[in-house]
Parts: sequence; structure tokens; C-alpha cells
Amino acid sequence: MNVGDKLILKKNNVSDFFYSLQEQMQLIAPKQRFAGDVVFDLVNSPDEIVWEYGHDIYPPGKRYLFPHYEDMFSYRQGEQIAIDVAADVPRQAIVGIRSCDVTAVRFQERFFSSPIVDPFYKTRSDNTVLFSLVCNEPPKKDCFCICCDAGPYLESGFDVQLTDLGDRFLYEIGSEKGLDVSEPREKYLEASTEQDIAERKRIELHADSLFQTASYIAKAIIYITSDEVPDEVWEELGSTCFRCAACTNLCPICTCYTVDDRPEPDGSFTRCRSWDSCQYAGFTREASGHNPRPTFGSRVKRRFYHKASFQYIMRDGRHGCVGCGRCVSSCLTKLDLPSVVKRIRRAMHDYIEPISKPTAFLE
Amino acid sequence: MNDKPTTCGFCSCGCALYVEPRKSGLGISGLCPSTTHPVSTGRLCIKGWNATTSLIRVDRLQTPLVRKGNELQPASWEEALSVTADVLKRVISTSGSEAVGVIGSAKTTNEECYSLVKFARAVLRTPNIDGACRFYDASLIPALIDTIGIPASQIGVEQLAEAGSMLIAGANVMEQLAHIGSRIQDAVENGCKVVAVDPRKSRLAPQAGLFLHPKPGSDLTWVRALLKTILDRKLYVDAAPQMPGFEELRASLDDVVIGVLPQVCGIEPEAVVEAATILAENEPCVVMFGLGVLQQQDSTILVKALANVALLLGGYVMPLRGQNNAQGACDMGVLKDYLPGYEPISSVETRAKWESAWQCAINPQAGLSAIEMVQGGVKALLVFGENVALSAPNTEQTISALEKLDFLAVSDLYLTETAQLADVVFPACSFLEKDGTFTNIGRRVQRVRRVIDPIGESKSDLEVIVGLASAFGKEMATDPSAVMKEIAATVPLYANFSYEQFETGWGEPWRASTPTPRLAPIHATDLPPEEPDYPYQLLASRINFHTQTGTMSARCGILTREYPESVVEINPSDAEKLKLRPGRVVRVSSKTGSLTRRLAVSDAVPQGCVHVPHYFGGDSANMLAGYECDSISGVPVYKGLPVKIEAVS
Amino acid sequence: MSTEVQAPTLTGAKPRNMWGVTGVPTGNLYVPMPAVIEKIIVETPDTKTFRLRLEDPKHAEWFTWEPGQFVEVSVFGAGEAPIGFASSPLERSWFELTVVNRGKVTGLMHELKEGDRVGIRGPLGNCWPLEDIKGKDILIISGGCGLAPLRPAILYILANREDYGEFWLLYGARTPADINYKYDLVEWEKRNDFHVLQTVDVGDESWTGNVGVVTTLLDQVKLDAANAVALTCGPPIMIKFATLALVKMGFSEDRVVTSLERYMKCGVGKCGHCCVNHVYLCTEGPVFTYAQLQEFPETRA
Ligand SMILES: Cc1cc2nc3c(=O)[nH]c(=O)nc-3n(C[C@H](O)[C@H](O)[C@H](O)COP(=O)(O)OP(=O)(O)OC[C@H]3O[C@@H](n4cnc5c(N)ncnc54)[C@H](O)[C@@H]3O)c2cc1C
Ligand code: SF4
Ligand code: SF4
Ligand code: SF4
Ligand code: FES
Repeated sequence: MNVGDKLILKKNNVSDFFYSLQEQMQLIAPKQRFAGDVVFDLVNSPDEIVWEYGHDIYPPGKRYLFPHYEDMFSYRQGEQIAIDVAADVPRQAIVGIRSCDVTAVRFQERFFSSPIVDPFYKTRSDNTVLFSLVCNEPPKKDCFCICCDAGPYLESGFDVQLTDLGDRFLYEIGSEKGLDVSEPREKYLEASTEQDIAERKRIELHADSLFQTASYIAKAIIYITSDEVPDEVWEELGSTCFRCAACTNLCPICTCYTVDDRPEPDGSFTRCRSWDSCQYAGFTREASGHNPRPTFGSRVKRRFYHKASFQYIMRDGRHGCVGCGRCVSSCLTKLDLPSVVKRIRRAMHDYIEPISKPTAFLE
Repeated sequence: MNDKPTTCGFCSCGCALYVEPRKSGLGISGLCPSTTHPVSTGRLCIKGWNATTSLIRVDRLQTPLVRKGNELQPASWEEALSVTADVLKRVISTSGSEAVGVIGSAKTTNEECYSLVKFARAVLRTPNIDGACRFYDASLIPALIDTIGIPASQIGVEQLAEAGSMLIAGANVMEQLAHIGSRIQDAVENGCKVVAVDPRKSRLAPQAGLFLHPKPGSDLTWVRALLKTILDRKLYVDAAPQMPGFEELRASLDDVVIGVLPQVCGIEPEAVVEAATILAENEPCVVMFGLGVLQQQDSTILVKALANVALLLGGYVMPLRGQNNAQGACDMGVLKDYLPGYEPISSVETRAKWESAWQCAINPQAGLSAIEMVQGGVKALLVFGENVALSAPNTEQTISALEKLDFLAVSDLYLTETAQLADVVFPACSFLEKDGTFTNIGRRVQRVRRVIDPIGESKSDLEVIVGLASAFGKEMATDPSAVMKEIAATVPLYANFSYEQFETGWGEPWRASTPTPRLAPIHATDLPPEEPDYPYQLLASRINFHTQTGTMSARCGILTREYPESVVEINPSDAEKLKLRPGRVVRVSSKTGSLTRRLAVSDAVPQGCVHVPHYFGGDSANMLAGYECDSISGVPVYKGLPVKIEAVS
Repeated sequence: MSTEVQAPTLTGAKPRNMWGVTGVPTGNLYVPMPAVIEKIIVETPDTKTFRLRLEDPKHAEWFTWEPGQFVEVSVFGAGEAPIGFASSPLERSWFELTVVNRGKVTGLMHELKEGDRVGIRGPLGNCWPLEDIKGKDILIISGGCGLAPLRPAILYILANREDYGEFWLLYGARTPADINYKYDLVEWEKRNDFHVLQTVDVGDESWTGNVGVVTTLLDQVKLDAANAVALTCGPPIMIKFATLALVKMGFSEDRVVTSLERYMKCGVGKCGHCCVNHVYLCTEGPVFTYAQLQEFPETRA
């Protein structure tokens, strides 16, 4: 077995495969929740895994590697005791994660390890294996990974990639980590045929054809990079923001956090980090009261500078959006990435209304 | 993560969210909105995202407290309950049950509200049971019962986006109820025309096709002019003339003189005509109003007038009530003049029905309002989940009246300003730690689920009520689902609800059988007299980041960071006139009280007005309000108060 | 001493040591080194200087820093705040931090007493380019507590006085009571190789010196702008006017160096609070030349 192998995992072996994996690590996978909600969570049995689902609002890659609230260490007044987080970081496989989220995990891994290595992120990511699941039927609304080079299927970045071929999964090994979890389970895997590969090709073409949302971000990157978008445009955009920070909380790319010292019932304190957002006014307000980003417009501008400027592409190796569409579905107003890109282009006069109207949120 | 979601307890929109408890110790490790819930649809506001952390903290009350000598000291539940029951029994036997008062909250569950009412009326036998809504929005209850027939919103949050036009009066909705604000934006995108009315240029401005800025306190004048215009120009729907009250309404508007609008309201007559046309031509119209309307002199009449607008145009009314269970608490009868389901206490049949349901005699007397109770109308007072010391008007006098009570028991999450004055304090648990239901702004009855364990020895208000009842030798249901069964059996509005049903979906709005709408006559009232010594008018508004008195939200890092201190805002030209620079510490005073804060200037505030955020930790607009109330509903007047402003040296 | 820092710092001035880049003596980037407060000097009603010594000798040995760098101070029970070094870099056994009481962390720090402990993560950030500007005339302009991060630079230059040309300090405070390091200023004013000019915004009975904003002192400065470097630190508005005046005097934009202050949390380029456009002030700053700042639209306002 080698990295790059394309194998077959028959559906009737899936359960056994993951039971056996579960002996080695905990499984995080999409689970049926209340009234049709599907959310990733710890599964007790692989049979709980929902293999057909659209998208999870709560980005699993971010949540399990960089949790919303994360204890860093705890201390008592005077002496301090460092808590070894590695001890309480379990080995985990995130099964069924979508291509966009895998791409985002790789983005965050890079961010959290250069030039300085974040020990908490590193321990978690070292302990995590990603089993990504190709989107055969991309959710028709909201997402646009195809414009962001992040899906609906991947060439690389995954540890293992699964494609649903009906009664079997195409099982692609993408990394050493993927190889390590596959080799001991050889008996569940078999070689793929040309027909399997052809079937996969057909699925790719079909999936590509389903996207109804497009975001032509390149032009916006040029305007943002050169700081040409007038401030009035940003302010007009910002005028409807509710400051909820859903756009950055749920964005699998965003990494900002704040740090609090929380008192515990036993008299000790825990230093805890939790997601923060450049969309909050308090994010940059200084002790003197001076705020370098005093307006809603300046804060929306900040977010898009990080998502779509050449300066950040140079730093991060790609633009800061994988097209997962979570900002589209979670923003209380219309300040999601595709809408803002479109409105910037409209303000700069190069946006032409599509002739046949796509039915998705673009219009 | 918890398998089932709970309902957010930070505002009346009622989003569904999943909570992930922290592995060990206090706190959570994450949360996310439900995507299929009809309100949240994958979204939460800043409070939903952040405020849960403020509930799970070590400074929450851990044990009951009982005053010994001058100090509140930790005590056992048995002691706290028996001390309370003993005092209540003594007061009742020496001074009668009228000497006892109970104030409920709009934050507790329906089951708790219902049980509290039952406890007050059937166990204590006191007529003095009222809700915190008296401080906020109780004026809409009689007004809407008399007009649209139900004291609630006629539509749900999820239907707002289909509105053709909206009249939004006196509501800082974009900052207060984000999901409603969001749906307003959706509606506008779908072509809805918004007529906004607010003295201040609020964040609604980008959505408003027409934004009227009347002088504070002049609302009835422009609404009467609007009604008159709709009638004179026959803009009403065909069915309107058949509606009961149509002719009386027309007659009551005979004296309207459109020409006084510029002088009285600062609004041009053409603007009112334009508003009428927009609302009539873009069906359906939704009339929304918030505390700007509800906390005025004559607020009951004003609400009736606004409801008339909706009725004449065939539209809908949606009162913008802020607290998470404001609707449910009123539905459950946490009101001095109604039994559960808005059945008037004055009616003999109603009383008979409840006397047989509760197996007791019900005191037929009209009870005291929450405001009368905190002014010292009773000897012993029980307060559940409301920081009355700060949310009642006239803070200084209220606090000294609370101090003078023979006995005060408070159930709360924190040692609030009110709890500090109490003789017994019960540590209550938050909505995250208990089961129950809330009724959202669109009347949707939804399940609240215990997602973390109660902190310390805290208990739900339901457990406290049941504990007190049993100290009186009365059995009451402890299980929320059993309470809901009782509610369904006795309150027709809730007849369809059961916990089994909540296990399969998102609940549904309660429906009244067949409300018969009627138009109410709207007579002019006297304008408040000018107060030359207090030349400015107070505007108090809510802000996004804090709810109520800030007991919860001021404990959340991100929320306090967003709004670290409350300021006083005035128009730049007034600042120039008063020679006051922004940042200066100023004193705003009314006839009743004063408050001191830093000054900020803003174009959004009209000349002649002073804007102070409402209910902000400790030092709020309530300091300035007296005990003047709307004569019908008894809601205190917080809006348009005459004030003056001066520098503090 | 450790090897040179590899992280990109924009001024070209590379500190020899930087927390996280040249290792972490505590084993975890976020875990601070305990330090004991040896001495507390009250500077003004709201400002105190704390002299600190690292408790663990291994930490102390690792710990070297340069003027312009800063630390994250943990005040246990409150949290962390970024504070610049304020003492002489040549003193190896202790260091000083001058802290203005502004809120939660700094407020609690002001309540601490000698012998109490705090936590230290650092040195963080880049430094004043003191090596690169040897031989140049030096003009330092600072306002209020902006003198604190410049004090190590001043003490270093005074200790190596022969390496530098003319040396000027312009210092402005709000009132005479707000002047920091009065004990230093007295000594510095006595020197004839150091020109010290002070001013206050609002004087009082005892004040006989200049009154007015710090830029008004520039008229009295005599040096050759072509061969001089200006180091500035203070409130944003002061930096702005000082820079404009300096450019007018003939300072080229890459000879005006300033230290920026932003809300900071992690100090290691992760939390995102200190970003100005695409630059992380905590690791690539806080010291920049005016020329460099031109590349960040966010600092132009
Ligand atoms: C590189 C650098 C060097 C500094 N050097 C010094 C120094 O030598 N002496 C000195 O007195 N001060 C210095 N400061 C400023 C000092 O960090 C802040 O005054 C301090 O963080 C305020 O924290 P607090 O907890 O006391 O206030 P808080 O109670 O947290 O907040 C008060 C206000 O400060 C803001 N604030 C909170 N945390 C920070 C933060 N980490 N950074 C900036 N603003 C914040 C808040 O938004 C709020 O408006 C420096 C700042 C930086 C970035
Ligand atoms: S910007 Fe929006 S679409 Fe792009 S990755 Fe973030 S949440 Fe997803
Ligand atoms: S977009 Fe904003 S929240 Fe997201 S990583 Fe960038 S600065 Fe942080
Ligand atoms: S999700 Fe939308 S409304 Fe919320 S902060 Fe982001 S841009 Fe603003
Ligand atoms: S302070 Fe955290 S990134 Fe700079």
C-alpha cells in the first residue's frame, strides 16, 4: 500500500472498517440531530454516521482542532501549574468532512505553524486524521468551493478521500497519516478497477455541473489589494452589519481568538482562549479608547482584506476563502463573501448581470 | 454536544441552538445554531453567540442566603424555604394575604410562570401578582385585546420577509432584536417598503424608504393624522367599514388638524400622506412598535391607534417585546388583572373556572401592580428573576421602599442589587440548566432543555415555587411536562401543546379561537406641559449588547468589551450651545433623579434630546423616571421625560 | 546568546532573541515565566515602575532583550497585557516595566506589592534599530507614557555615547504631575552631551518650563536632518504631527522610526488582534519606519 493508492471500500465493510478504526481513535462524524439538523459530533457507533448530508454549519475541522473555547492551562495565585494539553487531546478521525473543510484545515495548519508553532493546534492536528467525503451532489445553495479551488473533490490535502460509488466507496490515500490508518485494515480494502475510476470521473463532472453559486473573486482581489474600493462603499456595506461575528466564527479559515482568565470554583484560574472576531468594535479598541477600526465599514474592509488581498495570498499561500458558504447561511445580513465580492464589482462598474438568472442567492 | 437543542434565552426571537458543555468544570466548549429551526436558520445574534458564557460563572449564587443580623449568610434550602414560608404565614395571619406581593419575570419558563401564578393566587391567596412586563410593555395587553383581539403578534418572525410594507415606530429593532432586523432587511430586498418613525436616526435608516423623526412625546398626534388620512382618502380595505367601531373611530378623529403637524411633531403633512399611501399600496402591511411607544404617557391609546392602522389596511400587528418569555409570562397570567389565558379576574365565570381548577377560593380584589408593590404597597414581597431595584422607575425611592419592606425574598442567578436588599435569596438556575418552554415573539411555544448541570446548589424557579408551596402544605407539580399538561387542560390557548409533541419538531404558535377585531376610537389627549427648567427630552433606547439591567450581559467579556461604558448622547449643535466637549462628564437630571456619565455627540440624536441607553448596569434612565404611569396599563413613563444636562466639575 | 531571529521583521533591525522564534524556556509558548517584583517606583498618580527578576535561573539565563521589545505580563487572576521594557538592556539581573493603570490587568498590577509574583512571556517583537544607526545624530520625541519604551534606548545610547552623534530628547507630558522618570530627567539635563527639552500641555504654579505640545519644541532643535534619525513614541495624534514636522525638517521617511501600539493578546502572531493590514505588529513590529508604514493603508488615517 502506498500514498496515492486508489482502493475500494465496499459499503458492507464500512461498518467493520470504522469499528476497527474506533479501537484506535475516536470518531467524529456527521450525526442526525433534532428535526433534520445534521451536526458533526463524537459517534458511539459507526452506524450513526450520516453518509448523505449537505453541509454542517459548524465547521468540524476548525471546531475539533481549534475549539471555540479552549483551556490553555490553569494556575493558582502565586505558583502556576502548566497543564499538559497533549494529555487530554485524544486521537481522532474526522470522518465525512467535506473538501472545503479539509482545504481550510490545511490553511489553518500552515498559519498555526509558521513562523511560530502554536503548541495547542499542533498537538491536536498531529492527533487528527481526516477522512474526507466527496460531494456527489453539492448542496445547491450557498457554497462555491469550485471557485475557490477547494472542492467538491480534492487532488491532495486529505489523509483519506472517500467517493460514494453506490455500493462502494472509492478510497484514496493522500498522506502518510492516511497510509498509517489504512495498512492495518487492508482486509477491508481491495483494488479499484478502471470502471471505478471512470465512475468517479462521471461523478466529478456531474458535481461540477450542479453549482449555482459563482464568485468571481479575482477582480475583487485586485481592487482590495490596491485599496481602490472607496471608503463610502465599505461604509455602505457595513451599515447593515449586526456585529454578530457569525461570519468569522463559522468561517473555517478564520483564526482570531481572545484570551481570558476564568475563575474556577476551586479558587484556581484557567487561561482560556476563545474565538474572537475582527467584526467586533472591541477587537481593536485600545486602552486609551482610541479605535483604529472605528466604523462598521472599516471592520468589514478588514475582513475582506484578510480574505481577498494579494498581500495575504503571499503570506498564506492562497486566498482566505474555501467557498464553504457558511458566511452565506449564517450572516444576519448580506455581507457574505460572494455578495460582497459582487457588490464591490458592481461599485467598480465591472459587474454584468448574468443573462440567465441563477436561482441561488446571487440574485 | 447535546443531542437536542435548547431555546436561546436572551431575547424574544427564540433561536434554537446546540450547546457543547465543557468536558470538566464550569462552562461550555462551543455552540452552534440550528439550521432547520424557522427563526435561527443557521444564524445567531451577538448575544446568542456570546452571552451563554455569562450564565456559567463562579460568581453565580451557589447556595441559598438568609439574612442574619445585618448580613446575608449561606443557608440550606430547608432553612431558606422554611424561613420564607414562616414569615409569609405570619404576615398573612396578621395583615391578610393582601399584604403579600409576588413579582414574576419575563425570563422564566411558561411552566414556572404558571406555577408562580397558581402559588400566589391559590396558595398565598393574594391578588398581588404581577409581572416585570409592567415595567416594559404591559400597556399593549389591554390595547391589543380591545383591537386585534389577541395581546400578541399576529405573525411569526419567519413570515416577516413576505411583508409588502412596514410601519416601525419607536423601536431600536436593529440593535435589539437582530433576527427581526434581519428579516426586515430580507423583506426590503424582496421589495417591501419601510416607514420608520423614531426621534433618533437609528440603524434602521438604510432600510427605511421613509424615515419620520417626530418630537418625543408627540406620537399620538401623527398617528391620529395618519388614521385620518387613511379614512379621508379611503385607503382602507373594503372590509374595514363593516368592522365594529369604524364610525366611532371616524368620529373620534373629527378634530384632527393636519396643519399642526410641523409645529407639534416636527413632521410635514405631506410625509404623513406619503406614509399612508406607502402602507396602503404595499400589502400586506405589518405594524411594529417597541418600547419607544410602549413606555409613554398614554401608551395604551397609542397602541390602539397603531393597531387601528393595521386593521384599516388589512395588515398585521407585531409588538416588539424584548424579553425571551415576555409573551409566555403574560399568557400564563403573570398579570395583576388577568388569570392565565387573559381571562379577566373581574369576571365571575372566570374566577369560578379557576376556583374549580385549583380547588380554592380566588381573591376577587384587583391586585397591586408591580410598581405599586415596589413602592411599598405590601409588607412582604417575593421577586422571581427580576432586578426590580434597577428595572423599576425612580431608582432611589424604589430602593429605599424595598429596604423598608418587612420581608423580601428574591430568586436570581446573581446577587443583584435587589438580592442584596433581600432577607432570603434563592440561587436560581439559568435556562441552560432546566427544562421548560418559552413562547417567542411570534407566539411559538418552544422547548427549553437542560444542557448543563445546575451550578452549585442552584435550583429552577419551579423547584423553588414547589418547595414553598409544600411548606404551605400544598402539593404542586414538580415536573415541567406535568405542569404543561395542566396548562394545556386549563388554558385554551395552550390546549394543543404537550412535551411529546415538542420532541418531534420546533413547536408551533398558539392560536386564539376566533378573535373578533374591532376598531377603537382615538381621542386626542393633552400634550405634556412644557418644563422650562428641563428643556431637553430624554430618549432611552436599548442596545444590542446588553439586555435588561445587564445582570447577565455585563458579565460577558465580549459584550462588555463592545460597549464598555454607557454614555449620554446629544446632538453636536446642542453640545456646542452648551459648550460641552465630548468626553466631558455630565449630569442629566429630571424632577425625580439624576445620573452622571460621559458625554458623546451624535448626529443621530435630534436637537433638544438626550439619548441614554436603557437599563445599563446600575445607573440607568430609570434614575430619571418618576412614578408617573400610563393611566390605563400602569406602565411607567420612561420616554420623552423632560431633563436638563450640565457639566460636572 | 542565541542565534539571530528568523522571523521577518520589517525594520531590518533583528533582535537576537524572540519568544517562540528562538525557543521557549517554559516549553509552551503560552506559559509564562514567573517573576518577582523587587521594587516599585511610583512615577505619577496613575503610573508605576516595577522592577522584576525572573525566579528561575534557567529562564534568567535565556532571557536577553533589546530596547523596543516588550513582554506579555500575566497578572494572576486578571490576564495578560503587553508592556514595553523600560530599563537598561545592559542590566542582566533585573528589568523594569512602567505601567499605566488603565483597566483590569494594569489595575490589578497596581495593587501588587514588592515580593508578589507576575508572569512574563518575552521578549516579544522587534527593536529600535540601534546598531544600524550608529554614527548618526539621534532625535527622540516622546509623549506621556511613550517615554517608557524609549528609555532603554536612551540608556543604551548614553552608555555607548561615543558611537552616536548629537543626541536630543523632546518630551511632552500633559501636566507637570504626569512626567515620568523625573529622577532620570534631572540627571540627563545635567549632561552636556545630551540635549533634553521638556514641555507640558498645561502648566501649574511650580512649572517654569515650556508649555505647549511637544512638536513646538522642534524649533529649538539644531541638527543635520540629512545625517539624523528620529525615534518617536507616544499617542497616535502626537506621532502623526511629529512625523509631519520631521519630514518637513528634511528627515527622509526611512529615518523616522516609531513604535506602534495596538490591542495585543498573544504576542506571537496568532490571535490576530494586532494586525495592521497584513502585518502582525507583535512579531514584525512594533517598531517601524515611517516609510514602511506607508505600505499599510490602515495606518494612514
Ligand atoms: C507593544 C506595546 C507596548 C506597550 N507598552 C506599555 C508600557 O510600557 N506601559 C504601559 O502602561 N502600557 C503599555 N502598553 C499598553 C498596555 O498594554 C495596555 O494599557 C493594557 O493592555 C491595558 O490592559 P488592561 O487589562 O489593564 O485593560 P482592560 O481592562 O483590558 O481594558 C482597558 C482598555 O484597554 C484595551 N485593551 C485591553 N487589552 C489590551 C491590550 N492587550 N492591548 C491594548 N489595549 C488593550 C481594552 O480594549 C479597553 O479599551 C503597551 C501596548 C503595546 C501593544
Ligand atoms: S469566507 Fe465564507 S465561504 Fe469563504 S471560507 Fe469563510 S465562511 Fe466559507
Ligand atoms: S478575517 Fe478577521 S476574524 Fe478572520 S482571521 Fe482575518 S482578522 Fe481574524
Ligand atoms: S455575520 Fe454578517 S451581520 Fe454578523 S458580523 Fe458578520 S457581516 Fe456582520
Ligand atoms: S498579538 Fe496576537 S497576533 Fe499579534
